[in-house]
Amino acid sequence: MELQEQKYQMVQIDLGNLMAYDRHHHFPSVPSERGELVKECLQKGTELVQAIADVLFNLPSTEDRDGPIVQLPPPTTRLPREKHLPKPKPPTKWELFAQKKGIKKRKKDKIVYDEQTGTWKRRYGYDRVNDDKDVPIIETKMTDEPGEDPFAKRKEEKKKRVEKQEKNRLQNLKQAVKVGALPSHVQLAATALPITGTQSAPKKVTKDELGNVAGMAATSTASGGKFDKKLPGEKPAKHPGKYRKFLPVVEGTGMGSQEKQQTDKVLSKLLSKHSHEILDVNKAVTMFNVKKEKKRKNQQGKFSSTSSKLKPKKAAHKKSSKKGFSKKGSSKGQTK
Amino acid sequence: MRPLDEKETTAVFEKLFKFTGNNLKNIVESSSHEGVDENAGCYCFRLQKNKVYYVSEALVKRATNIERDKLVSLGTCIGKFTKGGSFHLTIQCLNLLAVNAKHKVWLKPTSEMSFLYGNHVLKGGLGRITENTTAGDGVVVFSMSDVPLGFGIAAKSTQDCRKLDPNGIVVLHQADIGEYLRMEDDL
Repeated sequence: MELQEQKYQMVQIDLGNLMAYDRHHHFPSVPSERGELVKECLQKGTELVQAIADVLFNLPSTEDRDGPIVQLPPPTTRLPREKHLPKPKPPTKWELFAQKKGIKKRKKDKIVYDEQTGTWKRRYGYDRVNDDKDVPIIETKMTDEPGEDPFAKRKEEKKKRVEKQEKNRLQNLKQAVKVGALPSHVQLAATALPITGTQSAPKKVTKDELGNVAGMAATSTASGGKFDKKLPGEKPAKHPGKYRKFLPVVEGTGMGSQEKQQTDKVLSKLLSKHSHEILDVNKAVTMFNVKKEKKRKNQQGKFSSTSSKLKPKKAAHKKSSKKGFSKKGSSKGQTK
Repeated sequence: MRPLDEKETTAVFEKLFKFTGNNLKNIVESSSHEGVDENAGCYCFRLQKNKVYYVSEALVKRATNIERDKLVSLGTCIGKFTKGGSFHLTIQCLNLLAVNAKHKVWLKPTSEMSFLYGNHVLKGGLGRITENTTAGDGVVVFSMSDVPLGFGIAAKSTQDCRKLDPNGIVVLHQADIGEYLRMEDDL
């Protein structure tokens, strides 16, 4: 038991990472040979693994279908950070202004009392306080022109305010990028802004590419972009109508060269594909055998008959074989 | 009316090749003697409303004067394209095939009528068959008096035909001249 305790003192075990660490380990003498070194390392390794196993099996386990399951405690070793610490973002324009002026932030309530309707409403969002659409009457002032619509004017003003705010937000982000402190979700989303470190230039779209894309977009309606109103100065689509281009029906004088080319191409392809079928192997084999037989017969007959008799025989034999070969192409004959 | 696309030409030629073999060249490049032009134009293929027509060039030139919707037919119709895009030969190309056929089958007089009604050719009705016909080849069916009756696909090769029992199918029917009466409206 003492020995074990001693062992545990020397070996630090982190069960969360299933790790065993021996702080006081040192090789008594570094073995010269690599094989010896490996053996000693393995030995020490087995000791450590044994230590882990001992502690592991002492933990309370629950029974499961596949065997006992043990809940490991959380790890104790602290690992270094994977990513760098977030840089502090630079103060926005408003923050700078507020600091200078000494304006402090005030805690705002979510529900505010609405004077107009006399109820408690949200400060922002659906059904909010001071909403533009709730205003029933706007009194005219002396400065108002007769034809103006005050409600529309209010809407436009709000739009302008929103746009201004968006512009400011983007400016603040750009400042943050300069320092390198862009918030991570914006960093991931931003493809135009370069990632810290790289100076990748924004991809320039050429005029042709833009034209192609615009054309594709224009024709990707249900009716192929035929009935869309064209903007002033917009050129007609390069690919009007169908994408299939057919050969001309009748071409000038004589057969059109294009059509002839096409048919020839197709024909030659087809014929070459089936060219292996032109030769009838069986027939060629039988012909060859017959020829050989006749030759052998003639050879035998040489010793018994005169040479003059052979010649006509040979000629007749040659003729028949020639006929056979020409017949092969258009075979019109009875079965044997 | 328009000339055939490359894909369509391949489809048509493939089907014709099954029947004619290398004689396909004769069909495609034969010179016509129609019209009053001095230089004989060739025959060509034109597509009109999913039907493929084999027509001489002189005729094509004149046919361009007719409105596209009003043009019903020109030259000889050799087949049509189905809605699915595949090409089928119709009976009207029989003359063209009969002249250039590579494999022929002659029927006995007793089974002529059966074939003309649309039935397949049984071994019992087979009179003659060209040598080295392989299964799946296109064959043109003739009567004993060398009148073309129709065409079809060989179900068995020549060797296998000999071993077949008399009720086995040797030629699968594809088209016959009886169709002119039976399917008058479709053609």
